[in-house]
Amino acid sequence: MSSSDTPSFQYPLSWRILDRAESVAGLWPGRWSSLTGYLFLVPALLLVFVLVIGLVYIFDYSLHELDLSTYRLKDAFSLVNYQAALKSVTYRIVVLRSLGASAIVTLITMVLAFPYAYVMVRTRSSFTRKFLLISLFLPFFIGQVVRAYGWLIILGKEGLLNTFITSLGLPPVKLIYNYPAVILGLVQYMLPFAVLLLAPAVTSISEDIELASEGLGANWVQTFRHVVLPLARPGLIGAGVVVFTLTLTDFAMPEILGGGTTDFIANSIYDGFFQISNPGLGAALSMILVTLGSVIVTVVFFLAGTGTLVSTEGTP
Amino acid sequence: MTGARGKTIVLWSIVWFNLIALSLPTIIILGASFTSGDIVRFPPDGLSLKWYARLWLLDDFKDAFLRTLYVSVICTIVSIPAGTLAALALTRYRIRFRTAIQVYLLLPFTIPLVVSGLGMMIVFGEVRILGQLWPVGIGLCCINLPFMMWAVSATVNALDNNLENAAANCGAPPLQAFLTVTLPAVMPGVITGALLMFILAFNEFLVSLFLTDARIVTLPVSIYNSIRSVITPDLAAVSVVYIVIALFAVWLLDRLVGLELFLKSK
Repeated sequence: MSSSDTPSFQYPLSWRILDRAESVAGLWPGRWSSLTGYLFLVPALLLVFVLVIGLVYIFDYSLHELDLSTYRLKDAFSLVNYQAALKSVTYRIVVLRSLGASAIVTLITMVLAFPYAYVMVRTRSSFTRKFLLISLFLPFFIGQVVRAYGWLIILGKEGLLNTFITSLGLPPVKLIYNYPAVILGLVQYMLPFAVLLLAPAVTSISEDIELASEGLGANWVQTFRHVVLPLARPGLIGAGVVVFTLTLTDFAMPEILGGGTTDFIANSIYDGFFQISNPGLGAALSMILVTLGSVIVTVVFFLAGTGTLVSTEGTP
Repeated sequence: MTGARGKTIVLWSIVWFNLIALSLPTIIILGASFTSGDIVRFPPDGLSLKWYARLWLLDDFKDAFLRTLYVSVICTIVSIPAGTLAALALTRYRIRFRTAIQVYLLLPFTIPLVVSGLGMMIVFGEVRILGQLWPVGIGLCCINLPFMMWAVSATVNALDNNLENAAANCGAPPLQAFLTVTLPAVMPGVITGALLMFILAFNEFLVSLFLTDARIVTLPVSIYNSIRSVITPDLAAVSVVYIVIALFAVWLLDRLVGLELFLKSK
């Protein structure tokens, strides 16, 4: 089989590939090794930079007034778009509506999500835990649009609930295209986010502390109020901030379940660009939304700490 | 209500309410997709698979499905090296201005999606790649990248520094130590992150809405466009595709890393 001129021994292919790769990697000089970490960061920094350039463009757009004769933005800088956005009663209502919805959705979601996270972490049955986890991940992995569509079938004019109501001989009720429908859709959308952010916080609370509290005569409501919730505070802040900002900037739920009656800021921005074709005004609203979100998050972090969102770990 | 029984009753009533709210839309869509009637109503006109049969005849649906798949694969392929390396750099290497870089890399979460989407639409338009399909994948990678980094850093923190030192001590050159020690150790994080990136890209609606047009529309956008007109069972059948994929992803995630991973405290 083997002739005398072929070598009788060869290193395995994977070794030879690795050696070749190693020699290529060797081209990276040893005295640059302190730069390796920065090299690793380059792809991620570049990807995020795309968003930064986009933000710069939008900021630039917001400083130029629309020329109504050509439907292009004028070259001269002006603050006309911001004046228009801030003076307009319509936009003031939209901003207040978005902020109000964010507060309501955050409150309801936290009240619903905390017991879910608590039960999921504390249950003794691994089957229950798995069931609760799957019920959480399944909707998380089904997009917002599909879930909104599900709610339309349930709440629609000839939907599940109205069929039930009319079968009782009552007149049909208008359940969609209003504020509560949007809130419902948003709460359901936010639940998985909130629970997944709260669960590690609950895990970190030792059960012994709860037992100690109960051993000292506190009932479970008192234990919750004075022991569990204060200890879960970082998780509650983190989850609350995420739910609040995601709601504030949401587009799909107000669009699909609100049907144009309950626009949020994102919907107004979209309309600014595509409906009334005034990119300058849409861009100004975008900058207002970015500012609003950043200010609220900064104030919360300043007043209550950063919660679990900013990790101080991982320092080598 | 303050006894142990009361605690169980109160907590479990809330949990059951959540379970119903979480699963009702999914169950209703499943039910609606099997109707034999031409509109969705209750009780259904009868059972049939005709809307699924019709689905396969719809070229529009098939094309949108394949485009969505393509976009999600690009997003995942780009995010695996970018996210993994960034997470390793931030946790294992000496980096100056670490906090500033961390804050910068969280920008995809702090910039509202509608603003990111519009921004990328403008940027892609300026460099004349708007209207092609692959930039959509890159765009989805930009907005979800922190998920990938988060998944990897969670496992890196659990990795013992000494393992790499031991490998080096045994004579492994840096690349070999990286490939045979570091990478396998963070693999659960990479798998979790990649799966999240894929499924989130597959579902992403708002940014896709800005980056696609009628020629290259992806599935979430096409569902959204159909919702606006009239509710028909074919849309429910399309949505079931999402439910099936989500089920598969949850199963895969559980098999590969275990869902309980998400309950761990850092």
